[in-house]
Amino acid sequence: MNLEQLLADTDIALQAIQQQALPDIKQAKDWQTKYRILMQLGKQLPPLPEKMKQQELLVKGCESRAWLLHYHDKKRDKHFFVLDSDARIVKGLMAIMLCLVNGMNSSELAKFNLSQQFDELNLKPYLSQSRGNGLTAMAAHIKACSSAT
Amino acid sequence: MFDVSSFRRQFAFFHHHPDWVYLDNAATMQKPDAVTEAVSRFYQQDNSNVHRGAHQLSQQATAQFEQARQTIAHYIKAQYVHEVIFTSGATAGLNQLAFGLMHTVLKPGDRILLTQLEHHANIVPWQLHCQRYGVIIDVVPLTADRQLDLNAYQQLLALKPKLVSFSHISNVLGHIQPVQQMVALAKAAGAITVVDGAQGVVYQQPDMRQLDCDFYVFSGHKLYGPTGVGVLYGKTQWLEQLTPLCGGGEMIDSVSFVNTTFNNLPFRLEAGTPNIAGVIGLAAAINWLQQYNNKLIIEHKSLLLNAFFQGARQIKGVAILSMPVHNAGIVALNVDGEHPSDVADILNQQQVAVRAGQHCAMPLFDYLALNGAVRVAFAAYNTLDDVNQCLLALEQAVEILTA
Ligand SMILES: Cc1ncc(COP(=O)(O)O)c(C=O)c1O
Repeated sequence: MNLEQLLADTDIALQAIQQQALPDIKQAKDWQTKYRILMQLGKQLPPLPEKMKQQELLVKGCESRAWLLHYHDKKRDKHFFVLDSDARIVKGLMAIMLCLVNGMNSSELAKFNLSQQFDELNLKPYLSQSRGNGLTAMAAHIKACSSAT
Repeated sequence: MFDVSSFRRQFAFFHHHPDWVYLDNAATMQKPDAVTEAVSRFYQQDNSNVHRGAHQLSQQATAQFEQARQTIAHYIKAQYVHEVIFTSGATAGLNQLAFGLMHTVLKPGDRILLTQLEHHANIVPWQLHCQRYGVIIDVVPLTADRQLDLNAYQQLLALKPKLVSFSHISNVLGHIQPVQQMVALAKAAGAITVVDGAQGVVYQQPDMRQLDCDFYVFSGHKLYGPTGVGVLYGKTQWLEQLTPLCGGGEMIDSVSFVNTTFNNLPFRLEAGTPNIAGVIGLAAAINWLQQYNNKLIIEHKSLLLNAFFQGARQIKGVAILSMPVHNAGIVALNVDGEHPSDVADILNQQQVAVRAGQHCAMPLFDYLALNGAVRVAFAAYNTLDDVNQCLLALEQAVEILTA
Protein backbone atom coordinates (compact mmCIF):
# COMPACT_ATOMS: atom_id res chain seq x y z
CA MET A 1 0.00 0.00 0.00
CA ASN A 2 1.38 3.41 -0.87
CA LEU A 3 1.29 6.38 1.41
CA GLU A 4 -1.43 8.19 -0.50
CA GLN A 5 -3.75 5.21 -0.28
CA LEU A 6 -3.01 4.75 3.39
CA LEU A 7 -3.76 8.39 4.16
CA ALA A 8 -6.96 8.27 2.19
CA ASP A 9 -8.17 5.04 3.82
CA THR A 10 -7.30 6.30 7.28
CA ASP A 11 -9.09 9.56 6.57
CA ILE A 12 -12.27 7.71 5.65
CA ALA A 13 -12.01 5.45 8.69
CA LEU A 14 -11.44 8.38 11.05
CA GLN A 15 -14.44 10.23 9.65
CA ALA A 16 -16.59 7.18 10.21
CA ILE A 17 -15.30 6.91 13.76
CA GLN A 18 -16.09 10.53 14.42
CA GLN A 19 -19.66 10.10 13.23
CA GLN A 20 -20.49 6.73 14.74
CA ALA A 21 -18.19 5.91 17.61
CA LEU A 22 -17.97 9.26 19.37
CA PRO A 23 -21.65 9.45 20.27
CA ASP A 24 -21.58 5.82 21.40
CA ILE A 25 -18.57 6.43 23.63
CA LYS A 26 -20.19 9.48 25.14
CA GLN A 27 -23.33 7.54 25.96
CA ALA A 28 -21.62 4.40 27.20
CA LYS A 29 -22.91 3.82 30.69
CA ASP A 30 -20.12 1.64 32.01
CA TRP A 31 -16.46 1.15 31.34
CA GLN A 32 -17.02 -2.28 29.83
CA THR A 33 -19.15 -0.82 27.06
CA LYS A 34 -16.62 1.92 26.49
CA TYR A 35 -13.81 -0.61 26.25
CA ARG A 36 -15.73 -2.81 23.85
CA ILE A 37 -16.15 0.19 21.56
CA LEU A 38 -12.52 1.22 21.88
CA MET A 39 -11.48 -2.31 21.04
CA GLN A 40 -13.43 -2.23 17.80
CA LEU A 41 -12.01 1.12 16.68
CA GLY A 42 -8.54 -0.21 16.11
CA LYS A 43 -9.90 -2.82 13.75
CA GLN A 44 -11.51 -0.17 11.55
CA LEU A 45 -8.21 1.51 10.79
CA PRO A 46 -5.83 0.24 8.15
CA PRO A 47 -2.68 -1.03 9.86
CA LEU A 48 0.61 0.68 9.24
CA PRO A 49 2.61 -1.73 7.05
CA GLU A 50 5.53 -3.31 8.91
CA LYS A 51 8.10 -1.67 6.69
CA MET A 52 6.72 1.75 7.54
CA LYS A 53 6.97 1.20 11.30
CA GLN A 54 10.18 3.11 11.51
CA GLN A 55 11.95 4.39 14.54
CA GLU A 56 11.20 8.04 13.70
CA LEU A 57 7.48 7.36 13.84
CA LEU A 58 7.56 5.75 17.27
CA VAL A 59 6.01 7.90 19.95
CA LYS A 60 8.25 7.78 22.98
CA GLY A 61 6.72 7.31 26.39
CA CYS A 62 4.47 4.35 25.65
CA GLU A 63 4.60 1.02 27.44
CA SER A 64 3.28 -0.41 24.22
CA ARG A 65 4.66 0.69 20.89
CA ALA A 66 2.72 3.35 19.04
CA TRP A 67 3.44 4.95 15.70
CA LEU A 68 2.19 8.23 14.36
CA LEU A 69 2.63 9.37 10.80
CA HIS A 70 1.83 12.96 9.99
CA TYR A 71 1.20 14.47 6.59
CA HIS A 72 0.64 18.15 5.94
CA ASP A 73 -1.11 18.92 2.69
CA LYS A 74 0.40 22.35 2.24
CA LYS A 75 -1.67 23.42 -0.74
CA ARG A 76 -4.88 23.03 1.18
CA ASP A 77 -3.25 23.50 4.62
CA LYS A 78 -4.74 20.33 6.03
CA HIS A 79 -3.15 17.91 8.46
CA PHE A 80 -3.62 14.16 8.13
CA PHE A 81 -2.44 11.30 10.30
CA VAL A 82 -1.93 7.57 10.22
CA LEU A 83 -1.57 5.66 13.46
CA ASP A 84 -0.89 2.23 14.78
CA SER A 85 -0.12 0.58 18.08
CA ASP A 86 0.46 -2.96 19.19
CA ALA A 87 -1.91 -2.39 22.11
CA ARG A 88 -5.56 -2.21 21.15
CA ILE A 89 -6.80 0.13 23.84
CA VAL A 90 -4.08 2.63 23.06
CA LYS A 91 -4.90 2.32 19.38
CA GLY A 92 -8.57 2.95 20.10
CA LEU A 93 -7.80 6.01 22.18
CA MET A 94 -5.41 7.29 19.53
CA ALA A 95 -8.13 6.83 16.94
CA ILE A 96 -10.46 8.97 19.03
CA MET A 97 -7.81 11.59 19.45
CA LEU A 98 -7.00 11.68 15.76
CA CYS A 99 -10.55 11.65 14.50
CA LEU A 100 -10.94 14.94 16.34
CA VAL A 101 -7.99 16.62 14.62
CA ASN A 102 -7.82 14.87 11.29
CA GLY A 103 -8.07 17.32 8.41
CA MET A 104 -7.64 20.42 10.56
CA ASN A 105 -5.61 23.37 9.31
CA SER A 106 -2.54 24.59 11.16
CA SER A 107 -4.21 27.26 13.23
CA GLU A 108 -7.09 24.97 14.23
CA LEU A 109 -4.60 22.32 15.26
CA ALA A 110 -2.58 24.80 17.31
CA LYS A 111 -5.70 25.96 19.13
CA PHE A 112 -7.16 22.51 19.63
CA ASN A 113 -7.80 21.61 23.27
CA LEU A 114 -7.56 17.88 23.49
CA SER A 115 -8.07 17.56 27.19
CA GLN A 116 -11.34 19.47 27.01
CA GLN A 117 -12.55 17.22 24.22
CA PHE A 118 -11.62 14.10 26.15
CA ASP A 119 -13.42 15.49 29.13
CA GLU A 120 -16.59 15.88 27.08
CA LEU A 121 -16.28 12.27 25.99
CA ASN A 122 -15.80 11.14 29.59
CA LEU A 123 -12.39 9.87 28.63
CA LYS A 124 -10.36 12.37 30.62
CA PRO A 125 -8.92 9.82 33.06
CA TYR A 126 -7.12 8.10 30.18
CA LEU A 127 -5.22 11.25 29.29
CA SER A 128 -3.92 11.90 32.73
CA GLN A 129 -2.94 8.31 33.43
CA SER A 130 0.78 7.94 33.99
CA ARG A 131 3.13 7.92 31.06
CA GLY A 132 2.22 4.25 30.76
CA ASN A 133 -0.15 4.56 27.87
CA GLY A 134 1.71 7.40 26.22
CA LEU A 135 -1.39 9.37 25.30
CA THR A 136 -0.05 12.53 26.79
CA ALA A 137 3.10 12.18 24.74
CA MET A 138 0.92 11.54 21.72
CA ALA A 139 -1.16 14.65 22.36
CA ALA A 140 1.94 16.81 22.64
CA HIS A 141 3.25 15.27 19.45
CA ILE A 142 0.06 16.03 17.54
CA LYS A 143 0.02 19.65 18.62
CA ALA A 144 3.66 20.03 17.68
CA CYS A 145 2.65 18.98 14.16
CA SER A 146 0.84 22.28 13.71
CA SER A 147 4.13 24.08 13.46
CA ALA A 148 6.01 21.35 11.61
CA THR A 149 6.40 21.83 7.91
CA MET B 1 -1.05 -19.80 61.62
CA PHE B 2 -0.23 -16.49 59.98
CA ASP B 3 -2.98 -14.01 60.74
CA VAL B 4 -3.20 -12.04 57.54
CA SER B 5 -5.98 -9.73 58.63
CA SER B 6 -4.13 -8.44 61.67
CA PHE B 7 -0.98 -8.13 59.55
CA ARG B 8 -2.84 -6.18 56.90
CA ARG B 9 -4.46 -3.85 59.42
CA GLN B 10 -1.05 -2.35 60.09
CA PHE B 11 -0.95 -0.76 56.65
CA ALA B 12 -2.77 2.56 56.52
CA PHE B 13 -2.66 2.37 52.74
CA PHE B 14 -5.36 -0.28 52.72
CA HIS B 15 -7.67 1.86 54.85
CA HIS B 16 -7.32 4.56 52.25
CA HIS B 17 -7.85 2.19 49.33
CA PRO B 18 -10.34 -0.39 50.49
CA ASP B 19 -11.46 -1.05 46.92
CA TRP B 20 -8.08 -1.71 45.43
CA VAL B 21 -6.36 -5.04 45.03
CA TYR B 22 -2.68 -4.20 45.16
CA LEU B 23 -0.60 -6.81 43.35
CA ASP B 24 2.28 -4.67 42.14
CA ASN B 25 4.44 -5.68 45.07
CA ALA B 26 7.52 -6.51 43.04
CA ALA B 27 7.63 -2.84 42.02
CA THR B 28 7.27 -1.53 45.54
CA MET B 29 5.62 -2.64 48.74
CA GLN B 30 3.21 -0.83 51.02
CA LYS B 31 4.58 0.46 54.33
CA PRO B 32 3.41 -0.60 57.76
CA ASP B 33 2.55 2.11 60.29
CA ALA B 34 5.69 1.19 62.23
CA VAL B 35 7.75 2.52 59.32
CA THR B 36 5.80 5.68 58.53
CA GLU B 37 5.70 6.50 62.23
CA ALA B 38 9.45 6.00 62.62
CA VAL B 39 10.12 8.30 59.67
CA SER B 40 7.82 11.05 60.89
CA ARG B 41 9.03 10.67 64.47
CA PHE B 42 12.56 11.26 63.24
CA TYR B 43 11.58 14.43 61.40
CA GLN B 44 9.35 15.70 64.18
CA GLN B 45 11.52 14.89 67.17
CA ASP B 46 15.05 13.93 66.27
CA ASN B 47 16.05 15.70 63.08
CA SER B 48 19.72 16.76 62.90
CA ASN B 49 22.51 16.02 60.52
CA VAL B 50 24.68 13.03 61.32
CA HIS B 51 28.40 12.63 61.96
CA ARG B 52 29.12 16.33 62.01
CA GLY B 53 27.42 18.46 64.63
CA ALA B 54 29.22 19.29 67.81
CA HIS B 55 25.89 19.41 69.55
CA GLN B 56 24.04 16.75 71.38
CA LEU B 57 21.13 16.65 68.95
CA SER B 58 23.43 15.64 66.14
CA GLN B 59 25.04 13.07 68.36
CA GLN B 60 21.63 11.57 69.10
CA ALA B 61 20.69 11.48 65.43
CA THR B 62 24.04 9.88 64.66
CA ALA B 63 23.49 7.27 67.33
CA GLN B 64 20.09 6.40 65.84
CA PHE B 65 21.55 6.27 62.36
CA GLU B 66 24.38 3.98 63.41
CA GLN B 67 22.00 1.86 65.44
CA ALA B 68 20.04 1.36 62.23
CA ARG B 69 23.20 0.17 60.52
CA GLN B 70 23.68 -2.36 63.28
CA THR B 71 20.12 -3.58 63.01
CA ILE B 72 20.56 -4.18 59.31
CA ALA B 73 24.02 -5.74 59.65
CA HIS B 74 22.61 -8.07 62.27
CA TYR B 75 19.59 -8.92 60.11
CA ILE B 76 21.64 -9.94 57.11
CA LYS B 77 24.27 -11.55 59.37
CA ALA B 78 27.15 -9.46 58.11
CA GLN B 79 30.39 -10.15 59.92
CA TYR B 80 31.11 -6.46 60.54
CA VAL B 81 28.73 -3.54 60.88
CA HIS B 82 30.84 -1.40 58.54
CA GLU B 83 30.09 -3.89 55.76
CA VAL B 84 26.64 -2.30 55.43
CA ILE B 85 26.94 0.68 53.09
CA PHE B 86 23.88 2.87 52.69
CA THR B 87 22.92 3.76 49.13
CA SER B 88 19.83 5.17 47.51
CA GLY B 89 18.77 1.70 46.36
CA ALA B 90 19.77 -1.47 44.55
CA THR B 91 20.45 0.45 41.34
CA ALA B 92 22.85 2.79 43.10
CA GLY B 93 24.60 -0.16 44.76
CA LEU B 94 25.19 -1.89 41.43
CA ASN B 95 26.42 1.33 39.86
CA GLN B 96 28.88 1.78 42.70
CA LEU B 97 30.13 -1.77 42.15
CA ALA B 98 30.54 -1.50 38.39
CA PHE B 99 32.29 1.84 38.69
CA GLY B 100 34.29 0.92 41.76
CA LEU B 101 35.72 -2.38 40.53
CA MET B 102 36.66 -1.20 37.08
CA HIS B 103 40.34 -0.50 36.77
CA THR B 104 41.13 -1.50 40.37
CA VAL B 105 39.98 -5.12 40.01
CA LEU B 106 38.60 -5.52 36.51
CA LYS B 107 41.19 -5.01 33.79
CA PRO B 108 40.98 -4.90 29.98
CA GLY B 109 40.41 -8.37 28.58
CA ASP B 110 38.81 -9.66 31.81
CA ARG B 111 35.42 -11.32 31.61
CA ILE B 112 32.37 -10.94 33.81
CA LEU B 113 29.30 -13.15 33.85
CA LEU B 114 25.65 -12.00 34.01
CA THR B 115 22.44 -13.89 33.25
CA GLN B 116 19.71 -13.59 30.65
CA LEU B 117 17.05 -12.63 33.18
CA GLU B 118 18.72 -9.74 34.95
CA HIS B 119 17.01 -6.45 35.69
CA HIS B 120 18.49 -3.56 33.71
CA ALA B 121 20.04 -2.34 36.97
CA ASN B 122 22.27 -5.41 36.87
CA ILE B 123 23.13 -4.99 33.19
CA VAL B 124 23.48 -1.36 32.24
CA PRO B 125 26.00 -0.25 34.92
CA TRP B 126 28.31 -3.10 33.90
CA GLN B 127 27.85 -2.33 30.24
CA LEU B 128 28.61 1.36 30.72
CA HIS B 129 31.97 0.65 32.29
CA CYS B 130 32.89 -2.62 30.62
CA GLN B 131 32.76 -0.95 27.22
CA ARG B 132 35.13 1.77 28.33
CA TYR B 133 37.55 -0.62 30.00
CA GLY B 134 37.45 -3.44 27.47
CA VAL B 135 35.90 -5.95 29.86
CA ILE B 136 33.91 -8.73 28.20
CA ILE B 137 30.38 -9.67 29.35
CA ASP B 138 29.14 -13.26 29.04
CA VAL B 139 25.52 -14.20 29.66
CA VAL B 140 24.09 -17.36 31.25
CA PRO B 141 21.15 -18.60 29.11
CA LEU B 142 17.89 -20.16 30.30
CA THR B 143 16.51 -23.65 29.95
CA ALA B 144 13.22 -24.42 28.20
CA ASP B 145 11.29 -23.92 31.45
CA ARG B 146 12.89 -20.50 31.89
CA GLN B 147 15.20 -21.49 34.73
CA LEU B 148 18.87 -20.57 34.64
CA ASP B 149 20.83 -23.18 32.73
CA LEU B 150 23.28 -24.39 35.34
CA ASN B 151 25.24 -26.53 32.91
CA ALA B 152 25.86 -23.54 30.71
CA TYR B 153 26.71 -21.58 33.86
CA GLN B 154 29.47 -24.04 34.71
CA GLN B 155 30.80 -23.96 31.18
CA LEU B 156 30.92 -20.17 31.27
CA LEU B 157 32.67 -20.28 34.64
CA ALA B 158 35.38 -22.30 32.93
CA LEU B 159 36.19 -19.12 30.98
CA LYS B 160 37.40 -17.76 34.34
CA PRO B 161 35.28 -14.64 34.74
CA LYS B 162 36.66 -12.22 37.32
CA LEU B 163 33.15 -11.49 38.56
CA VAL B 164 29.71 -13.06 38.47
CA SER B 165 26.56 -11.02 39.14
CA PHE B 166 23.04 -12.46 39.24
CA SER B 167 19.70 -11.87 40.88
CA HIS B 168 18.55 -13.87 43.86
CA ILE B 169 14.99 -13.88 42.53
CA SER B 170 13.84 -12.93 39.04
CA ASN B 171 11.69 -9.81 39.20
CA VAL B 172 9.70 -10.98 36.17
CA LEU B 173 9.19 -14.70 36.70
CA GLY B 174 9.55 -14.93 40.48
CA HIS B 175 11.86 -17.93 40.17
CA ILE B 176 14.22 -18.36 43.11
CA GLN B 177 17.71 -18.99 41.79
CA PRO B 178 19.90 -21.59 43.45
CA VAL B 179 22.07 -18.78 44.79
CA GLN B 180 23.89 -20.85 47.38
CA GLN B 181 25.08 -23.28 44.75
CA MET B 182 25.80 -20.57 42.20
CA VAL B 183 27.92 -18.59 44.63
CA ALA B 184 29.85 -21.72 45.62
CA LEU B 185 30.53 -22.64 41.99
CA ALA B 186 31.63 -19.10 41.16
CA LYS B 187 33.94 -18.97 44.14
CA ALA B 188 35.45 -22.31 43.21
CA ALA B 189 36.16 -20.76 39.80
CA GLY B 190 37.84 -17.80 41.52
CA ALA B 191 35.21 -15.17 40.70
CA ILE B 192 33.99 -12.28 42.83
CA THR B 193 30.29 -12.84 43.52
CA VAL B 194 27.58 -10.18 43.40
CA VAL B 195 23.98 -11.00 44.27
CA ASP B 196 21.19 -8.60 43.30
CA GLY B 197 18.88 -9.15 46.24
CA ALA B 198 16.27 -6.55 45.31
CA GLN B 199 13.57 -9.25 45.24
CA GLY B 200 15.41 -11.85 47.31
CA VAL B 201 15.55 -9.85 50.51
CA VAL B 202 11.75 -9.75 50.65
CA TYR B 203 11.42 -13.48 50.35
CA GLN B 204 13.79 -14.49 53.06
CA GLN B 205 16.23 -13.07 55.53
CA PRO B 206 19.51 -13.11 53.61
CA ASP B 207 22.34 -14.73 55.56
CA MET B 208 25.67 -13.33 54.42
CA ARG B 209 27.72 -15.82 56.37
CA GLN B 210 25.94 -18.78 54.92
CA LEU B 211 25.60 -17.42 51.40
CA ASP B 212 29.20 -16.22 51.51
CA CYS B 213 28.84 -13.92 48.48
CA ASP B 214 31.21 -10.95 48.22
CA PHE B 215 28.48 -8.37 47.58
CA TYR B 216 24.72 -8.26 48.07
CA VAL B 217 22.54 -5.28 47.15
CA PHE B 218 18.93 -4.40 47.87
CA SER B 219 16.45 -1.52 48.08
CA GLY B 220 14.53 -0.53 51.19
CA HIS B 221 11.26 0.16 49.41
CA LYS B 222 10.74 -3.45 48.38
CA LEU B 223 11.17 -4.53 52.00
CA TYR B 224 8.36 -2.45 53.57
CA GLY B 225 10.82 0.44 53.93
CA PRO B 226 11.00 3.96 52.50
CA THR B 227 12.04 4.79 48.95
CA GLY B 228 15.44 6.32 48.32
CA VAL B 229 17.38 4.07 50.64
CA GLY B 230 19.17 0.81 50.03
CA VAL B 231 22.06 -1.32 51.12
CA LEU B 232 25.27 -2.36 49.49
CA TYR B 233 26.70 -5.16 51.58
CA GLY B 234 30.28 -6.19 50.83
CA LYS B 235 33.02 -8.12 52.47
CA THR B 236 35.54 -5.76 53.97
CA GLN B 237 38.41 -6.84 51.73
CA TRP B 238 36.37 -6.06 48.63
CA LEU B 239 34.72 -2.88 49.86
CA GLU B 240 38.20 -1.54 50.49
CA GLN B 241 39.07 -2.01 46.86
CA LEU B 242 36.13 -0.05 45.53
CA THR B 243 36.80 3.36 44.07
CA PRO B 244 34.08 5.63 45.49
CA LEU B 245 31.53 6.56 42.84
CA CYS B 246 30.61 9.74 44.67
CA GLY B 247 33.04 12.12 46.26
CA GLY B 248 32.15 14.87 48.68
CA GLY B 249 31.69 15.51 52.33
CA GLU B 250 31.92 12.88 55.03
CA MET B 251 33.77 10.33 52.93
CA ILE B 252 37.19 11.94 53.12
CA ASP B 253 40.03 11.91 55.59
CA SER B 254 41.85 14.97 54.30
CA VAL B 255 41.41 17.10 51.20
CA SER B 256 43.86 19.33 49.43
CA PHE B 257 44.15 20.19 45.77
CA VAL B 258 47.18 17.93 45.60
CA ASN B 259 45.64 14.88 47.12
CA THR B 260 42.59 13.58 48.91
CA THR B 261 42.70 10.67 51.28
CA PHE B 262 39.60 8.77 52.16
CA ASN B 263 37.84 8.03 55.39
CA ASN B 264 37.39 4.47 56.65
CA LEU B 265 34.55 2.13 55.82
CA PRO B 266 31.65 2.57 55.73
CA PHE B 267 32.01 6.34 55.35
CA ARG B 268 34.35 6.36 52.36
CA LEU B 269 31.49 5.01 50.25
CA GLU B 270 28.79 7.31 51.67
CA ALA B 271 29.48 10.80 50.34
CA GLY B 272 27.19 13.62 51.36
CA THR B 273 24.35 13.76 53.82
CA PRO B 274 22.73 10.34 53.76
CA ASN B 275 19.00 9.62 53.67
CA ILE B 276 18.86 9.61 57.46
CA ALA B 277 15.11 9.23 57.82
CA GLY B 278 15.14 6.55 55.12
CA VAL B 279 17.79 4.55 56.94
CA ILE B 280 15.84 4.83 60.19
CA GLY B 281 12.67 3.81 58.38
CA LEU B 282 14.37 0.78 56.87
CA ALA B 283 15.66 -0.34 60.26
CA ALA B 284 12.13 0.13 61.62
CA ALA B 285 10.81 -2.08 58.82
CA ILE B 286 13.29 -4.81 59.69
CA ASN B 287 12.60 -4.57 63.41
CA TRP B 288 8.89 -4.74 62.72
CA LEU B 289 9.22 -7.66 60.34
CA GLN B 290 11.21 -9.71 62.80
CA GLN B 291 8.24 -10.16 65.09
CA TYR B 292 6.78 -12.46 62.43
CA ASN B 293 7.80 -15.99 61.66
CA ASN B 294 8.95 -15.85 58.06
CA LYS B 295 8.22 -19.54 57.56
CA LEU B 296 4.54 -18.79 58.11
CA ILE B 297 4.70 -15.85 55.73
CA ILE B 298 6.27 -18.04 53.06
CA GLU B 299 3.52 -20.61 53.58
CA HIS B 300 0.87 -17.93 53.31
CA LYS B 301 2.36 -16.61 50.09
CA SER B 302 2.59 -20.02 48.54
CA LEU B 303 -1.04 -20.61 49.43
CA LEU B 304 -1.91 -17.45 47.47
CA LEU B 305 0.38 -18.44 44.63
CA ASN B 306 -1.09 -21.92 44.31
CA ALA B 307 -4.64 -20.61 44.42
CA PHE B 308 -3.76 -18.14 41.71
CA PHE B 309 -2.09 -20.74 39.53
CA GLN B 310 -5.06 -23.04 39.88
CA GLY B 311 -7.52 -20.34 38.96
CA ALA B 312 -5.49 -18.82 36.14
CA ARG B 313 -4.97 -22.19 34.48
CA GLN B 314 -8.76 -22.53 34.18
CA ILE B 315 -9.08 -19.32 32.21
CA LYS B 316 -8.97 -20.07 28.51
CA GLY B 317 -6.38 -18.04 26.66
CA VAL B 318 -4.17 -17.27 29.65
CA ALA B 319 -0.57 -18.33 29.14
CA ILE B 320 1.55 -18.45 32.29
CA LEU B 321 5.29 -17.90 31.95
CA SER B 322 6.28 -18.52 35.56
CA MET B 323 6.74 -21.91 37.15
CA PRO B 324 4.86 -22.57 40.40
CA VAL B 325 7.82 -24.33 42.05
CA HIS B 326 10.72 -22.41 43.58
CA ASN B 327 8.66 -19.30 43.07
CA ALA B 328 8.73 -16.36 45.48
CA GLY B 329 5.18 -15.24 44.70
CA ILE B 330 5.42 -13.59 41.29
CA VAL B 331 3.48 -14.72 38.21
CA ALA B 332 4.18 -13.43 34.72
CA LEU B 333 1.41 -14.16 32.26
CA ASN B 334 -0.14 -13.16 28.98
CA VAL B 335 -3.49 -13.46 27.29
CA ASP B 336 -2.91 -15.21 23.97
CA GLY B 337 -2.55 -12.78 21.12
CA GLU B 338 -3.18 -9.72 23.27
CA HIS B 339 -0.83 -6.99 24.33
CA PRO B 340 0.01 -7.09 28.06
CA SER B 341 -0.75 -3.41 28.44
CA ASP B 342 -4.32 -4.02 27.24
CA VAL B 343 -4.74 -6.71 29.87
CA ALA B 344 -3.31 -4.53 32.64
CA ASP B 345 -5.46 -1.65 31.46
CA ILE B 346 -8.62 -3.68 31.92
CA LEU B 347 -7.42 -4.94 35.31
CA ASN B 348 -6.81 -1.32 36.26
CA GLN B 349 -10.42 -0.49 35.38
CA GLN B 350 -11.39 -3.11 37.93
CA GLN B 351 -9.01 -1.66 40.51
CA VAL B 352 -6.54 -4.47 40.35
CA ALA B 353 -3.02 -3.02 40.31
CA VAL B 354 -0.49 -5.05 38.36
CA ARG B 355 2.36 -4.14 36.10
CA ALA B 356 2.61 -4.75 32.37
CA GLY B 357 5.51 -4.44 30.01
CA GLN B 358 9.05 -5.69 30.04
CA HIS B 359 9.73 -4.93 33.70
CA CYS B 360 13.20 -3.52 33.06
CA ALA B 361 14.29 -6.87 31.68
CA MET B 362 14.31 -6.39 27.92
CA PRO B 363 16.98 -9.05 27.27
CA LEU B 364 14.76 -11.62 28.95
CA PHE B 365 11.82 -10.73 26.71
CA ASP B 366 13.98 -10.74 23.60
CA TYR B 367 15.06 -14.21 24.59
CA LEU B 368 11.47 -15.32 25.16
CA ALA B 369 10.46 -13.62 21.90
CA LEU B 370 7.62 -11.81 23.67
CA ASN B 371 6.80 -8.11 23.75
CA GLY B 372 6.13 -8.20 27.47
CA ALA B 373 3.97 -9.75 30.14
CA VAL B 374 1.53 -8.91 32.89
CA ARG B 375 3.09 -9.37 36.31
CA VAL B 376 1.08 -10.31 39.37
CA ALA B 377 3.18 -10.13 42.53
CA PHE B 378 1.87 -11.26 45.91
CA ALA B 379 2.95 -9.98 49.30
CA ALA B 380 2.28 -11.18 52.82
CA TYR B 381 -0.60 -8.72 53.25
CA ASN B 382 -2.51 -10.07 50.26
CA THR B 383 -5.46 -12.35 50.88
CA LEU B 384 -7.28 -15.14 49.10
CA ASP B 385 -9.93 -12.57 48.41
CA ASP B 386 -7.33 -10.54 46.49
CA VAL B 387 -6.47 -13.65 44.50
CA ASN B 388 -10.11 -14.24 43.63
CA GLN B 389 -10.74 -10.65 42.64
CA CYS B 390 -7.70 -10.69 40.42
CA LEU B 391 -8.85 -13.90 38.76
CA LEU B 392 -12.32 -12.49 38.15
CA ALA B 393 -10.80 -9.34 36.69
CA LEU B 394 -8.59 -11.46 34.47
CA GLU B 395 -11.59 -13.42 33.22
CA GLN B 396 -13.32 -10.16 32.45
CA ALA B 397 -10.24 -8.96 30.56
CA VAL B 398 -10.16 -12.11 28.46
CA GLU B 399 -13.85 -11.76 27.75
CA ILE B 400 -13.59 -8.16 26.63
CA LEU B 401 -10.45 -8.69 24.60
CA THR B 402 -11.64 -11.76 22.77
CA ALA B 403 -15.22 -10.62 22.23
C1 LIG C 1 15.85 -7.78 40.54
C2 LIG C 1 15.90 -6.29 40.65
N1 LIG C 1 17.08 -5.65 40.63
C3 LIG C 1 17.19 -4.33 40.76
C4 LIG C 1 16.08 -3.53 40.91
C5 LIG C 1 16.25 -2.06 41.03
O1 LIG C 1 15.77 -1.59 42.23
P1 LIG C 1 15.63 -0.01 42.50
O2 LIG C 1 14.84 0.53 41.36
O3 LIG C 1 14.92 0.06 43.79
O4 LIG C 1 17.02 0.54 42.56
C6 LIG C 1 14.82 -4.13 40.93
C7 LIG C 1 13.61 -3.30 41.05
O5 LIG C 1 12.70 -3.35 40.28
C8 LIG C 1 14.73 -5.54 40.80
O6 LIG C 1 13.55 -6.15 40.83
